[in-house]
Order: sequence, then structure tokens, then C-alpha cells
Amino acid sequence: MSQAFDLVMLALLIAMALAVARSKDLLAAAIIFSGYSLVMCLLWQHRGAPDVAMTEAAIGAGVTTILVLLAIGRTRRREK
Amino acid sequence: MKKPLVAVTLAAAAVPMLIGVAALPRPGDPTAPAHTHVAAHYIEAGARETGADNRVTAVLLNYRAFDTFGEVLVIFAALAAVIAVRSPATPGGRADDMPGPGPGLPISPVVAFIIRLTAPFIALFGAFVIFRGHVSPGGGFQGGVILGALLVLLSLVLGRGAERPLLAVPLARWLQAAAPLAFTGVGLLGLALTGALLGYPAEPERHALRELMMITLDVGIGIGGAMIILGLFLEMRGD
Repeated sequence: MSQAFDLVMLALLIAMALAVARSKDLLAAAIIFSGYSLVMCLLWQHRGAPDVAMTEAAIGAGVTTILVLLAIGRTRRREK
Repeated sequence: MKKPLVAVTLAAAAVPMLIGVAALPRPGDPTAPAHTHVAAHYIEAGARETGADNRVTAVLLNYRAFDTFGEVLVIFAALAAVIAVRSPATPGGRADDMPGPGPGLPISPVVAFIIRLTAPFIALFGAFVIFRGHVSPGGGFQGGVILGALLVLLSLVLGRGAERPLLAVPLARWLQAAAPLAFTGVGLLGLALTGALLGYPAEPERHALRELMMITLDVGIGIGGAMIILGLFLEMRGD
């Protein structure tokens, strides 16, 4: 059961990483990347690292996404 | 021409990495190097020696405090770099020349109401995470990011623009440097008390002083981190 959870989360991570790399819409990529951080956060918590999970949720899913969105706002939304 | 090259480069990077991952000890293996050297001592004596029940905090603020000092300096340097790049004094162009965001949409009353409603709870939670960091998961970095997110949210509601900043710029600069300042102060105090930079007095009766030093570091990291996140946000938004 525990192993199955990890496997599902890891599969999700790989799928999201590929989606971020392939997406030409940078806004969509930023939001998917935020979801990637949330899944990573669940994985940290499940592996027994609550300190890292909190940091991942706050910095990975929160602050990084805000900064990337601001950078997109100052440049272009679509990759050429 | 290009595609085989990419494939070969990827394979050259992936094969050593996969071999390395395969050679890692199994998670939880008691004979793994990570569990046999200093970590065993940290787990066994960490709470007694440092006064921090949360071993992660014991390592962050006590055993490896010097590393954490470096981390907070790196975070402060990141903000300094953003300010330097955004500063109008940059040679070759003023900050106004950068492509800015379009005229911002007025913030929806629903969003503004929700932010105002939840702000005190977020603030309490952030302070809780900072102050309980040496007992439960959490600490200055995590609580600081929660407070920083709160400040970013509030800056969306409470007016825009540099004409009415929430804090005077010089005061904000000092608060942004709170983490390195706290480490310098606690480090020098440790130097005076024990003869070692960032040393903690080891006597059991000095427990309260040790705890106070650790909470000072946590609060410094928390306030500094929150202010740096707000500073990054405001600088990048172009205020």
C-alpha cells in the first residue's frame, strides 16, 4: 500500500515534468510546475520528512510560482 | 546530426546517474552511511545537547549553524542582486525601459474580502510555525515563507505602488537583513560565552539561554525571509 502510493506519486511527477518541458504555454507550464511541487510535498511527507514537505509546499508551490508568474508578466506568455 | 548528439549526451548523463541511484542503500537500512556516522549521535544526544526536540532544527541551528548562516547570506544576496539589477542606476538603461506588465486589473472584491478574512489566521499560523520550530516540524524558514506569502497577499489589497509603502525603505532594508544580523549577533554571543563562533553554552543550567539563542535565530530567519520574499515580489512587480 505504502509502496503503491509512492509509485503513483512518482508516475505523476514524471508525467508533470514531461508536461512542463513540452508545454509551449509558459503560464500553463508554471501552474503544472506548481502542481509538481505539491506532489513532491506529499511524497516528502509520506517518506517521513515533514520539515522538507513544509518547505516544498511553501517555497516550491507558492513563492517560486509567484516569481515565475511575475517574470512571465514582464516578458511573453508563449514560447517561440 | 543534432538528434543523435542529444541522445548520446543524455545517455552519458543518465547511465552514471541510474547506476548511482541503484547503488544507494535501501531506505531505512540501519547500516547505511547516513545512519551510522554523526547522524546516530545527533539522534541519540541531539535533544539533550541542544535543547531542540526537533532534530532537524538541532542540526540546522546548532550542529550545522555555520552552514545555515551561509544559506541565509545566499538568500539575502539574491535579493541584493535583484535590487541591483532593477535599480535605475544600471548602466545602459533605466529600469523603466523594461517591458512592464500591462495595467493591472482591479482586484476583485471577493479576493480582497477573503484575504482580509484569512490574514490574521495566516499570521498566527506563521508565528506558530516559527516559534514551535525547535519542538515540532517547522522553524524560521518555513514560518518565514508563510509570513512572506501573507505579506504578498496583503500588498495586493493594501494599495499599490511605491508612493505609499507599508514600511519606510530604510526600515525594510534592516528587516530584510534580519537573518544575517541575528546569526551575527548570536554567533558573537556564542564567541564571547564559549570561545567558538555560533557556540552554545553547554551547561544544563544554561538551558533557557540556549533556547533563547535558538529562538532568536528562528525569529531572525522568519522575519528576514518574509521581508525578502515581499521585497522580491515588489521589485519584480515593478514598484
